[in-house]
Amino acid sequence: MKILVVAEMQLGKLKPSNRATIRMAQDLAAQDGGSFSMVLIGHQLGDAVGELNKYGADTLYVIDAPPFEHYLADTLADAICKLVKAQGFDRVLGGEATTARDYFPRLAGALDAGMCRGVCALTQIDGATCYQRPVFSGMALRTERIHTPIHLITVDPTAIGEPKEGGAGEVVAFDASPQDNANVKFVELQRAASERPDLTVADRVIGAGRGIKSADYLDTIGKLADKLGAAVGATRAVVDAGWLPNEFQVGQTGKAIAPKLYIAIGISGAVQHAAGIRGAKTIVAINKDAEAPIFKIADVGLVADLFDAVPQMIENL
Amino acid sequence: MKILVTVKPVADPNTPPAAWIDSEKGKSGSVNYVANYFDLIAVEQAIRFKDMGVDDICVVSVTDESKMAQVRSAIAMGANRATLIDPEDRKLGAYQIAAAIAHVVKKEAPAFVLMGKQATDDDASQVGPILAGILGWPQATFVSQIEFNDDKSRVKVGRETDEGVEVLDVKLPAVITCDLRLNEPRYATLPNLIKSKKAPMERLKFSELGIEDSPRVTVEGYSLPEGRSGEAKMVADANELVATLKEMKLVD
Repeated sequence: MKILVVAEMQLGKLKPSNRATIRMAQDLAAQDGGSFSMVLIGHQLGDAVGELNKYGADTLYVIDAPPFEHYLADTLADAICKLVKAQGFDRVLGGEATTARDYFPRLAGALDAGMCRGVCALTQIDGATCYQRPVFSGMALRTERIHTPIHLITVDPTAIGEPKEGGAGEVVAFDASPQDNANVKFVELQRAASERPDLTVADRVIGAGRGIKSADYLDTIGKLADKLGAAVGATRAVVDAGWLPNEFQVGQTGKAIAPKLYIAIGISGAVQHAAGIRGAKTIVAINKDAEAPIFKIADVGLVADLFDAVPQMIENL
Repeated sequence: MKILVTVKPVADPNTPPAAWIDSEKGKSGSVNYVANYFDLIAVEQAIRFKDMGVDDICVVSVTDESKMAQVRSAIAMGANRATLIDPEDRKLGAYQIAAAIAHVVKKEAPAFVLMGKQATDDDASQVGPILAGILGWPQATFVSQIEFNDDKSRVKVGRETDEGVEVLDVKLPAVITCDLRLNEPRYATLPNLIKSKKAPMERLKFSELGIEDSPRVTVEGYSLPEGRSGEAKMVADANELVATLKEMKLVD
């Protein structure tokens, strides 16, 4: 078994979800006494190569060229396809994200390979490694088996632990000879500037729901977040209302998060939102409706008017 | 201009998970089917392009006759016709479904293909990009804004990504998958539902398309995730909440 981890960059830094992907590669390699390699793709990667190269990989392939400055599915899938074919990899792992959800299935088409998305655990059935993943908005788990020689896996970063540190692998520059892509051109990334921690990796997250009633109240939510050094997330209702941009959405169609502390404020707890916070260690819910489903999944609950409770919390912290 | 739009009948997202698992295992039960919501967004977008010169909207669905009502509800929103591919009792995988749709795309040569970004049952989110890979077409996934350029040879799309809205300029033909905020799908009216029964419908059989017969990925089993343990500890007010969180060493 030859395992390849596709490590990604995000806004000029290594993506935190790379670590869970490396961990799953280590677990897969340990199962059959094998090893794994990694590839990092981007432009002007700088220190990222050294930072990534400390987990005991055999080889760290580096693909560094101007066409990879901005993420584009077909350019990236083409480069990985060339590397996989050149080196004979038969397990290709990436971190579940809007990038991997975009280019991994394309890669599956190009490599004639079966794929499982958002894998949260490995299991063995009849001596074959199978992959467990959430389906139906996270309300059910499904075990899937891949029958092609190459397996493509994206890893749920909220379900897998930290990788073990190890030695540095040989760094090898790989020439993917990217073609100038006239079919798809990157225009711009529209991103809300924020000084707060990244939602997907923050230890503490404050979630805002429809109960906050207007965008104005986000200032107060923000004050609570800043007191706790927390990131702010939101339900679909808040994003649909235009109170926060879409990258703040937590849930089935947004991000899955796994903070140590999640404080759900004015959130009813629809299954679609609950799917995104399954991995949270402790869920705190503040809602004036004692019957709200959020209290069924919360560890600590407060039935109260959030407009009273949140300022009191800020004062007490 | 011709557009293909894909529609998948899925179990109603409000179905209790245990009942859904039973239905997936082939046990008969009372699961209601609906058209996948993200696919309805794709159909709605195709209809909104009618005043941009789109005059032929073909719905493509890989489904058997038992779920025809869900496909019809999508046609009744304003599509012109449909092509159905009967899986003939197979449990098809994402690649096979993409290959079957590719068969129709090659025959129809549409200006582009619109799809939902994922199905709300298996949440796989794979068929769109696999289809693009098979066709060698550009892809734009999770799209929440689309506009044509002047000669309609390209589209400018906004994609909902983890980092923000990514704007791409994409050459047509392309595979475009639709995200939640692209539009609000309309309801099919009763007269249109009746009229949709007369919409031309081509019926194909999966076995006739020359696609590999066994899926690349099979389902080995289902389980329910472990529920979060125990009951919530209820506190009386914000002061007690903060004290509890301090006690649990979750805040300083």
